[in-house]
Amino acid sequence: MRLSTRKLLDRSFTGLGFISIVIMTAALLFLLTPIFIRGSRAFLFRATVEHRLLMLEKFKRGNPEKIQIEVEQTQKMRRPVYDMMSQYEKEISQLSRLEKMEKKNQLRELKKYIENLLGPAPGETRPVLWRDQYGQTRWERALAHLQKVLYREKWDYSDPTKMGQKILIPRTEDFKGTSLENLFPYIENNLKKMLSPRLTFYWRFLTDKSYDAHFFGGIWPEMLGTLYLTLGAMIFAIPMGVIAAIYLTEYAKQGTVISVLRTCISTLAGVPSIVFGLFGLAFFINTIKISESKSVLAGSMTLALLILPTVIRASEEAIRAVPVTYKEAALSLGASKWHTVLTVILPAALPGILTGIVISMGRAAGETAPIIFTAAVSVGKPLKLLETFTQPTPALPWNIYNLATEHEAVDEIRHVQFGMVLTLVLMVLVLNMAAIILRARISKKLKG
Amino acid sequence: MFQNTKNKRESLLLSERAHRLQRVGSFLGQGFLFFITSISTLAVLFIIFFIAKDALPFFQLEGFREFFTSTHWYPSAEKPEFGVMAIFYGSAMVTIGAILVAVPLGISAAVCLSDVLPFIVRQYVKPVIEILAAIPSVAYGFFALVVFAPTLQKHGGHLLSVASWLILTPLAVIFIIVISDLTTTRLSDKVRNPSRLAIIIFLGICFAWGLFQMSHYFNGIIITSGTNALNVSIILGIMALPTVVSVSEDALQAAGRELREGSYALGATRAETIIRTIIPAASSGILAATILGVMRAIGETMVVWMASGNAAQVPKPWYNFLSPVRTLTATIAGDMGEADHVTGSSRYHVLFAMALSLLLFSFLANLASEWIVVREQKKLGK
Amino acid sequence: MKGALMEKEEKKDVLLEPPEDQRKRNTSGEVTDLNALAEGNGEVHVRTEDFSIFYGTNEAVKKVKMNIPSKHVTAIIGPSGCGKSTFLRAINRMNDLIPSCYTKGKMYFDDHDIYSQKTDVVTLRRRIGMVFQKPNPFPKSIFDNIAYGPRLHGNKNKNELFQIVEKSLMHAALWDEVKDRLNENALGLSGGQQQRLCLARTMAVDPEILLMDEPTSALDPKATAKIEDLIAELRGEYTIIIVTHNMQQAARVSDYTAFFYEGILIEFGDTKELFQTPREKQTEDYITGRFG
Repeated sequence: MRLSTRKLLDRSFTGLGFISIVIMTAALLFLLTPIFIRGSRAFLFRATVEHRLLMLEKFKRGNPEKIQIEVEQTQKMRRPVYDMMSQYEKEISQLSRLEKMEKKNQLRELKKYIENLLGPAPGETRPVLWRDQYGQTRWERALAHLQKVLYREKWDYSDPTKMGQKILIPRTEDFKGTSLENLFPYIENNLKKMLSPRLTFYWRFLTDKSYDAHFFGGIWPEMLGTLYLTLGAMIFAIPMGVIAAIYLTEYAKQGTVISVLRTCISTLAGVPSIVFGLFGLAFFINTIKISESKSVLAGSMTLALLILPTVIRASEEAIRAVPVTYKEAALSLGASKWHTVLTVILPAALPGILTGIVISMGRAAGETAPIIFTAAVSVGKPLKLLETFTQPTPALPWNIYNLATEHEAVDEIRHVQFGMVLTLVLMVLVLNMAAIILRARISKKLKG
Repeated sequence: MFQNTKNKRESLLLSERAHRLQRVGSFLGQGFLFFITSISTLAVLFIIFFIAKDALPFFQLEGFREFFTSTHWYPSAEKPEFGVMAIFYGSAMVTIGAILVAVPLGISAAVCLSDVLPFIVRQYVKPVIEILAAIPSVAYGFFALVVFAPTLQKHGGHLLSVASWLILTPLAVIFIIVISDLTTTRLSDKVRNPSRLAIIIFLGICFAWGLFQMSHYFNGIIITSGTNALNVSIILGIMALPTVVSVSEDALQAAGRELREGSYALGATRAETIIRTIIPAASSGILAATILGVMRAIGETMVVWMASGNAAQVPKPWYNFLSPVRTLTATIAGDMGEADHVTGSSRYHVLFAMALSLLLFSFLANLASEWIVVREQKKLGK
Repeated sequence: MKGALMEKEEKKDVLLEPPEDQRKRNTSGEVTDLNALAEGNGEVHVRTEDFSIFYGTNEAVKKVKMNIPSKHVTAIIGPSGCGKSTFLRAINRMNDLIPSCYTKGKMYFDDHDIYSQKTDVVTLRRRIGMVFQKPNPFPKSIFDNIAYGPRLHGNKNKNELFQIVEKSLMHAALWDEVKDRLNENALGLSGGQQQRLCLARTMAVDPEILLMDEPTSALDPKATAKIEDLIAELRGEYTIIIVTHNMQQAARVSDYTAFFYEGILIEFGDTKELFQTPREKQTEDYITGRFG
């Protein structure tokens, strides 16, 4: 081969390496950007007057007088809408029966969508569900619902080779020449005044309970559940993992037993997480009956088993990294072996062990599969500490799955889903950042 | 200085009782430590035992034949069928897909990290890998379902054709230049350059035509559902990437500076050194990395459950990555909810049978990777 | 035990006997006759009989027979890999840390068999302190470093601890340098200070023997001189056994010198004599620089 070709190959090889790293970084950015941008909208969004009204009536938050004034102003802007509709009702009452039926149906549909957008018309009986008691509380949802008011959906199945195509038909066409014709431009142009959206920072998303199937409120039960599960797992995993690491590094003699132990630990690390979940169900709940059914306790124990190998490995590594001279110094001063471990080796290895613990905490917080059958439920109240022994809990990872796939109105609560994902990712990232910083400090200390 | 204390030396000898006490104490202490340590061992054995215990009734009830041969998965039909082959196939398919993404990317990233990037840059890339590894699987699954799947559904064909251009064009250029060089080395100086040019032009036209055909084909593809094997493969590949990168980077580093210097001293370029010397030397580590990546992909639940489409069918044609599939993990996670309360039914036990096959696979894969590592250590030791 | 008692009676004979000719050549007025030393004020502190140390199958120290006098400085010299450090570490059983290491023969501390099954290793190591090649302070404060040993042995009284810390640091000639920063991390000290801290830490548990394993090899000349001065000051108070590869150092600080070569104790005697008129050819070759 010519030298120039070899050099070209060399350069393209280097380029390949760079590209793969760029792709990796890009993948991370592609993943995190939507989560961060759309997740932040759970906290920071343009809240309509309906949001403030809801906060006042249900949570007693906000200034009643101010909100009252605002409500009156928006009601004034909305009145023409209702006036137009009642006028139209009068109009169609004079039509023939068949026509009347059709028009009435059209009007009923329109009324439903307007109700979704603005809340129940004044004077009507209050519905049961919160979501029906108020109009859209978020401006971007209000815009989405505006589309439904303005346009009628129709499916076109004319081409049998393709899937059905959605066609949007403006509703103005249905009501041409009637008193409702002006309704649509009026709503479109005055929606802002009807809802008066304002940028709001809803930090209580983290600490509010959820209401009406996550339509309103925050994610406190899930947060608390995740905290319980994570801390519970750590309570089991840390002592066992650190003790096992001490035994493996300081006491165990090389031999068959130890190599079997090591193989088992690495096997445990390789067991798929869903199998842990099944095992937790079959062993903790069905066999030793640690609780009636799913409980935080059973979930924590399952998670603890899952992260045990990580904790053992990290602690082992940290203990091995302690210079042997420390041990020699302690022993030469007449410390017993156990005393040496407690007073010299563990303190010196502590930052390394902490790093491992923090990373496995992140892992425990984010795992879903092991808690599906052992701890997680989709709806629940925040638990008290003692209830964790017997009660299941909602948890962030499980509810992300649940809300994104099984919720009755997946699209309506995207902001909650993204908010949950952001919260979980942030929790894990903060833990990992802490680990990275810890490690940097250790390596600095070892160098210094 | 401590003259006064020097006379009161404690004896070096342990009394008979203290001696016995110390021995018993250290025996008990070590026993306690050993017991705690072996809990993780016990856990593995318990896991295998309890999964097997609930898996075997299925084979008693239904026999082995249907499970391993049929592709019909209708567990809730009036006459239920429990053919798991389609689900096995789905698992295998997304795993292979993930490996196709993760291994080439991972190894070249590892090479770049260990041999190309300066130390300072490496310090910034490492956290990227760590964060990729740390992000919870449900977040990946959510991304795959809510962001990636709609994108794939809307612009899938275009994305595929752009991706094929981006990947294949540089490869084709390099290939053409190397081929033209190799075929013309033996020619005499006079004819070499013109003939090389001719070959380059000819091959270039061929490849360009091929690429255009391909991108045209891809552009025409309509992806009916964004939740399919391709989506899951890509996401799983990215999830397995950190494992592959860090394990194979360790292997590459372990190959040692002497080997590199030896190769450089003979006038090899960096690429030649790495491909001909370092990668063969680190091959077993890279193989172990691949196995670990496979384990990560096959054991992953949330992503496949959320974004694979969950259709228990063998895609048609069999290599069609654009059709929805269903995997073992997703089936266990999804069906357990319905089977939960009917302990003792085939429906409940078949899920444990699936878990058992997953478990056995991961066990074997783990043993294989350990065996590879041990063999390598022995080789290096000798 | 029986054996040990018997040995005691035969102490005179077991002492390393300098050959006749050496005794004649000895002209200085100091105690140089090892036999006289055994009878007089000085005592034998550590005694070995055909003591061998193995790493697996490799015999690192071969059948060493040696009597180390009390309250003097004994230097062990020899080329690297000759087993001198291994021998030193055997005295307070630091070699127990190495799994493949085992010993044969006997080693006595006063009259106790060090390698007896019933020996309390913890007490042994407390009474035989050790300073290592590289300064190895714990990553704790200076105070906690010194107080580690006393605390270990049950002393929790803050005042007493402070007194011990002060005394030990003064003894190690470090007090003036660190008295204002006792609570700072010991790793912030310079190498020489760290080594003196380690010496102070060892002395704080009040040992009888100080083992020093090339204590100055990681230090600069100034710090080395300080440590050597310290050793000179401690002479007569402790039995000091120092391993060094630096022959000048051995000549400067020690009363007696042992020369090891390939695991065998070639020669052991008064330092001056050994350096001026070595009996063995190998010793002479080593100190005149023909090998090593």
